[in-house]
Amino acid sequence: MRKQIFLLLSALALLVAATLPAAAQSNPSKTKSDKSWAAPKTPWGDPDLQGTWTGDDTWGVPFERPKNFGTRKTLTEDELKDRQKRVEQSEEFVETGGTNHSPAVAQIEAKEKGEAVPQAQGRYGRGVDAAPVPGHWGEFARRPSHATSQVVDPPDGRIPPITPEAQKLLDEKMATRRRDPQSWEDWSYYDRCITRGVAGSIIPVIYGNGLEIVQAPGYVAIRYEMVHDVRVIPLGTQEHAGPGYRSWMGDPIGHWEGNTLVVDTTNFIGKTSIGVNGDAGPPSSDETHLVERFTRTADNRIDYQMRVDDPKTYTGPWTVEFPITQEPGYKLFEYACHEGNMAMRNMLSAARAEAAKKAAAGAAKP
Amino acid sequence: MRNSFHTMILSATCAAVLAGALPTPAQNAASRIPRTPDGKPNLTGLWQSIGTADWDIEDHGAQAGPFYQLGAAGAVPPGQSIVEGGEIPYLPAALEQKKKNYENRWKMDPVVKCYMPGVPRANYMPFPLQIIQSQRDILIAYEFATTNRVINMGKKEDAAVDTWMGTSNGHWEGDTLVVDVTGFNGNAWFDRAGDYASDSLHVVERYSLRDANTLNYEATIEDSTVFSRPWKISLPLYRHREKNARMLEFKCVEFTEELLYGDLRKKPAEGK
Repeated sequence: MRKQIFLLLSALALLVAATLPAAAQSNPSKTKSDKSWAAPKTPWGDPDLQGTWTGDDTWGVPFERPKNFGTRKTLTEDELKDRQKRVEQSEEFVETGGTNHSPAVAQIEAKEKGEAVPQAQGRYGRGVDAAPVPGHWGEFARRPSHATSQVVDPPDGRIPPITPEAQKLLDEKMATRRRDPQSWEDWSYYDRCITRGVAGSIIPVIYGNGLEIVQAPGYVAIRYEMVHDVRVIPLGTQEHAGPGYRSWMGDPIGHWEGNTLVVDTTNFIGKTSIGVNGDAGPPSSDETHLVERFTRTADNRIDYQMRVDDPKTYTGPWTVEFPITQEPGYKLFEYACHEGNMAMRNMLSAARAEAAKKAAAGAAKP
Repeated sequence: MRNSFHTMILSATCAAVLAGALPTPAQNAASRIPRTPDGKPNLTGLWQSIGTADWDIEDHGAQAGPFYQLGAAGAVPPGQSIVEGGEIPYLPAALEQKKKNYENRWKMDPVVKCYMPGVPRANYMPFPLQIIQSQRDILIAYEFATTNRVINMGKKEDAAVDTWMGTSNGHWEGDTLVVDVTGFNGNAWFDRAGDYASDSLHVVERYSLRDANTLNYEATIEDSTVFSRPWKISLPLYRHREKNARMLEFKCVEFTEELLYGDLRKKPAEGK
């Protein structure tokens, strides 16, 4: 009798298992438009956003929309062909090392050949990018983006005017960049290996665009390759930390709206810019309120959206949108930014040496 | 009962059944630990060690700190060794290096410069750590300097390059998470007292939940260029249980810039 019950239960179990929908396999051809694609779930039932993602495909898309596009969000077929050409050129640069060697590499090669060492171009460079990077570091779009810009709201794809206070802070910042560096404070928080901020950590640049999402019941965590930043996002009804607590990456709280992860972040110190590398544009304020949305729309794509509300800096809210994708073989490495930040000492000591030379020359004048 | 023999059998049977059915204290703890849907112990949470291992992983008494101006606030608190057997088995030459490290510890300790603390030190810093255990890999995010590491729970991957935090490959042995860490660059220390290893360092960690709120942490340290034999540390990590507990941010680079670059500030003699 017992054996018969066991066999019956086993048969029932097999029947039930056969009728359950299979979990979505990692298959780049499956997209939201395929009727059969279902957003994968974790074993505890949350939408599964896990994996290593990159904004590479949006590298080259203008941050703000060029005025001639008006309210048009997508490229025409001809414009797309043009962008495809540029994508192919940047891929070639990466694969062949390009013809524009970094000044540092040019100097080393000249020394090895016994030739005259060319002077480095530019003044003090820009922190960790004091010399343009060698080609093989570069990342590139694998598929040309159809977007005319990363900013999608306001409808003209351009950031609202900044406040007078923000303009003042921006002018002060630019003044420090133009003059001879007086201390580390004359460089960006990225160059100082402190942070690129939330926005600067995801807006794509020429390398290091990777981020990794790991989930657990009650949490989503995002770690970013550059400057090894990490955000732990608790899910649910937890309140934000009190206003006396401030941080560079803010205090995030997440919740699900259907298959979309909504992350609400406040408690910012401010100071970083909401732009490329956390440095393009005016410094943000401590009133910054970011709302991000992550929606997986294909096995290898998450649609990312970030709404910026910072009334001390911008006269209105604005929104950025672009996809992040999974790419075969793309993985994160440890980015020991501060540990390896020789550039800061090199640039500051060069500035002091030049100033000493100038001072000596000035003193020698009759 | 009329039949004393039946009574005896009944009592004996009841006792036997009860003895088999009642859990032992160890089984009680094991069944009370949180588990993931696939039955593994669930290590997700905000954890922190208690004690002063970060100051010195061996026995140490209270001591003055480097700056008398900080008085008691800057002094070194006491602690007992987390090293099994008490002392680290340095090779003679390595012990001399440790002593040199100790004498120059405020200048040489990488953590003073806000450099990443390496493994196992990251786990016993006086800052919380958040474990995020997914159905695949495990992320550990450390409040100190936003240091973070992913423990690969899939097919083992060799270290592609030497790093501060090493490359971690993990697997379960029953209810114990075993993590094999290799590919260290040899720059991190074990504590503020100058205890160190080389880039040959190999660490094997073991994480097991003693109960829902206590995580036993052990690490076996191996480096034949520094130590005469492998040695082990062990200490508990405790779950943060205060209301609204969350990982906060300690980005310390800012606090080290004067220390690292202060001599390169613009000099008054440079004029305008």
